Formats: sequence, structure tokens, C-alpha cells
Amino acid sequence: MAARIDEFLIGVKPQREWGWLVISYLFLGGAGAGLFLISLYIDHAWAGLLGISVLVLGTLLLFLDLGRPERFWRAFFRPWSSWISRGCFFITLMVLFGALQIAPGLGFLWENGSALGSVIKAVSVAAAVLVMIYTGFVLSPSPAIPFWNSALFPVIFFVYSLLAGIDILILASPFLPGAPLDLVSLERLQIYLALACLLLVLSHLSVMSSSAVAARESIRLLTRGRWGLLFLGGVIVAGLVVPLALSWAVLWKSQAQAVFAFTVILALLRLFGDYLFRFLVIRVGLYDPLL
Amino acid sequence: MARYGMVIDLNTCIGCNACTMACKAEHATPKGIFWAKVLEKEVGKFPAARRIFLPVLCNHCKNPICQEVCPTGATYKRQDGIVLIDYDMCIGCRSCMEACPYGPRAFYESDGAYYPGERTAYEKSQQDFSEGVVMKCNFCVERVDQGLDPACVVTCVTECRVFGDLEDPQSEVSRLVADKKARPLLPEKGLEPSVFYVGS
Repeated sequence: MAARIDEFLIGVKPQREWGWLVISYLFLGGAGAGLFLISLYIDHAWAGLLGISVLVLGTLLLFLDLGRPERFWRAFFRPWSSWISRGCFFITLMVLFGALQIAPGLGFLWENGSALGSVIKAVSVAAAVLVMIYTGFVLSPSPAIPFWNSALFPVIFFVYSLLAGIDILILASPFLPGAPLDLVSLERLQIYLALACLLLVLSHLSVMSSSAVAARESIRLLTRGRWGLLFLGGVIVAGLVVPLALSWAVLWKSQAQAVFAFTVILALLRLFGDYLFRFLVIRVGLYDPLL
Repeated sequence: MARYGMVIDLNTCIGCNACTMACKAEHATPKGIFWAKVLEKEVGKFPAARRIFLPVLCNHCKNPICQEVCPTGATYKRQDGIVLIDYDMCIGCRSCMEACPYGPRAFYESDGAYYPGERTAYEKSQQDFSEGVVMKCNFCVERVDQGLDPACVVTCVTECRVFGDLEDPQSEVSRLVADKKARPLLPEKGLEPSVFYVGS
């Protein structure tokens, strides 16, 4: 491993440790939990199974990112201080209780509606919400990277996770067994979620623009620098504004029926924007200069 | 109880990197990994331009955020304030590297050996870490436990580093901190580093 020249310079430095595996986990983990949560809302066990599968896939990527993956079990040792450790418990709880929750819908185990079933549902819902937000808490308490040091991240990740979960559900809807999905209702829900994402992301940028040196540099990279086109064009315009405008125009105003191809295009745009957002959040993480 | 710390005089440092090499020799750190190093920056404009040097190492903070975020407990603090890593417990998640604002930690990737395939006899005798873990300055704990100063301190050709007990008001480090108004790096982060700097 060659040392980089900027390691020996005083100045703002980028974080380089977390790359595409962690970014993909942030995306898939959040989307899987969001999909599971929405599956409970629409009472669709197969959608719940898909959500759990997406979360497991994301967790596998996170596992591969470890330097010593064979020691992964040690990550459960510090839940009282470490959000990563807490996250391990949240993921485990969601997978276990989520599987128990959807089992009756898939024809296994007990009948829905029992007291035990209510407890399982409550735990799985709580675990899914925690999986969606804890990654925000992994980033936000850090004093090292000012752009991440924001209380908004858990909220942003929650809303983006729900948005992505529903988008995966829309894309998977033709292949899911069980009752057909009401795409119009899902697409209408996406209008609110995309609007919330837009407001939250812009609020975060606004707060950070008066923060530490490194945070201001992160904002510059996102708006006028190296990542400007991807952020403004990909995350904001293609990922949020265009889907919002099209969805609003077609579904809300005219009360038209959703055409599957139309919702697929919007879902793909939003998923692209969500992944890009998580990619850019990690890539523009910068450390303050030491002097 | 002691709290070990260091004072570095920036007016005396000449940026020779003797500390960098002494650290590598002491710990046989892998290729591209420096537990101690000297950062530099060009300031001013010609003809008054000059380089400033900033020797850096783990700050062995009183409130180590690296210990707080570590999910395994691999990072721990001794009673004398030295922050260490148990390399047998580290899973290589690098959350400590993301949380520390000072950047002294390094991830030992699989291509970090000087001689791939086997370690030299010297490396075997000096290294207590393996691939896939995060590593950092340990204040030369093996020397400190024998009553010796860290390798970077004894090797400094301008004697710009002083090591000692910050809790002992009679120690040289305590007097330097008190008399010369030494300051830590990025005090606003609230981590209370044990490495202080005097001069500019």
C-alpha cells in the first residue's frame, strides 16, 4: 500500500476508508428495512420477505468490507457505546422477528392476530425503523467529519429508506405472488416522501454551509466542484425533482391510473438518486485541517 | 494515577522526519503506514514563503472517540491514559478511523507487506499485529513500561519533543504546558488530547 502525498500535507483531507461496499450497504440496508416496513402497512408477506432479503444482501456486503470478517461476531460486544454494535443487534432482530412476522402470510406457523403475533409485529417494526435510522447515528455523532456531524442524517436516512423500499416494491410488483399492489396509492405516497427528502437534503446543505471549514468544502464539492453534476443533476433533479413533477402532474392532478411502465421509470430515477445521495455523502466526507 | 502526554515545540522542529523513521524502525510498521509522521505546509508568498512542519501521532485523548465508536472493545485506554488497540479483537471496520479527527490510524491491508509472502525475522520480532486490522501509535508502550521515553522522543535531533506525566505538576511536560501556553490540535472537538504543541 503506497502512502498518498496528501497524507503528509496540512489541509482538508477526504475520508478514504469507507467505499462502495459500505455505500451499497447504506442503500440496501435502508431500502430493505423500508420495504419491510411498508409491507406491514399493505399487509403483504411476500413484499416483507423481499425486504428482509434485500437487507441480508446489504449486510453481506458490509461483512465483506471488514478487514477480518471471520471475527464479525465481536461487533456485538459494545452496544452501550457503539452505534455499529447497536446496528448489529437491530439487523439481527429485524431478520429474526421479521421472518417470524411474515411466516403466517407465507403459510407457516401460527395464525395472525394472537398476542404473540402482536409482540412479534411490534418488535419487527421497531427493529426495521432502527435499521433505517441507525446508520445516520453512525455518521452524525462524529466530530471528525463536519459534513456528517448533523442531527438531520437519521431523519434523512429514514425518509430515503422508505422511498427506496417502496421503489423496490414497485419494480418487483409483477413478480410478487399474492394480492396485486395498488401502484397509484404507492406512487402518491412517493410524492410526499420525495418532497420530504428534497426539503431535508436542502436543509442539511443550508445548515452545513455555515459550519466548519471541511463542511463548507464538502458543500462546494457537491454544488460547484467535482461532484456538482452528480449531486445537482443526479440526486436533486433526476432523483427527486423530475419524479416529483411527473408524478404530481400525472397522478395527482388528472387522477389518472398509473401505468406500470410510468411508475417503473419514476422508481428507477428515485433509486438512482438515492444510491447517488448515499455515495456522495460518503465521498464528500472531509476532515478539518489540523492547523 | 499518571496521564502520559507529550509536548512538541513547533519552533524547534526542522521537519527532518527522524521521528517518522525511528517509529518505523521501532514498530516495523508495514509499507505505506506511519504511526508518526511530519506534516508540512507552505505558507506566505515569495520572497517570504516558508514551510511549516507539524509532527503528528496518536493524541491519546482523555475522551477517546475511537474507543467510544469501536464495536468490539478492541480500542481501550490504560489507566495511565495510553490508548491502545487489541489487534486480536479488531475486526477492521475502520469506524475509529472515521471518528478520529486527527488521522493517526491506518488500516493494514493485505498488500502492505514489504516482502509479500513472509515476514522478515525483524518484522516477526517487532510486529504484534496482523493483516486486516487498524493500527496506530502506542506511545511506545513497550518502552514506557521499562521507564524509557518513546522512540520518536529520544531520536529527535532538535529535542523538540518532551514526554512525561501530565498529572505531575513537577514534570517537564506539565511545566511546558503551563509556562508556554501549549495547546492541543482541534481543541473544539472536545476530545482532550494528551499531545500539546508550543510555538507556531
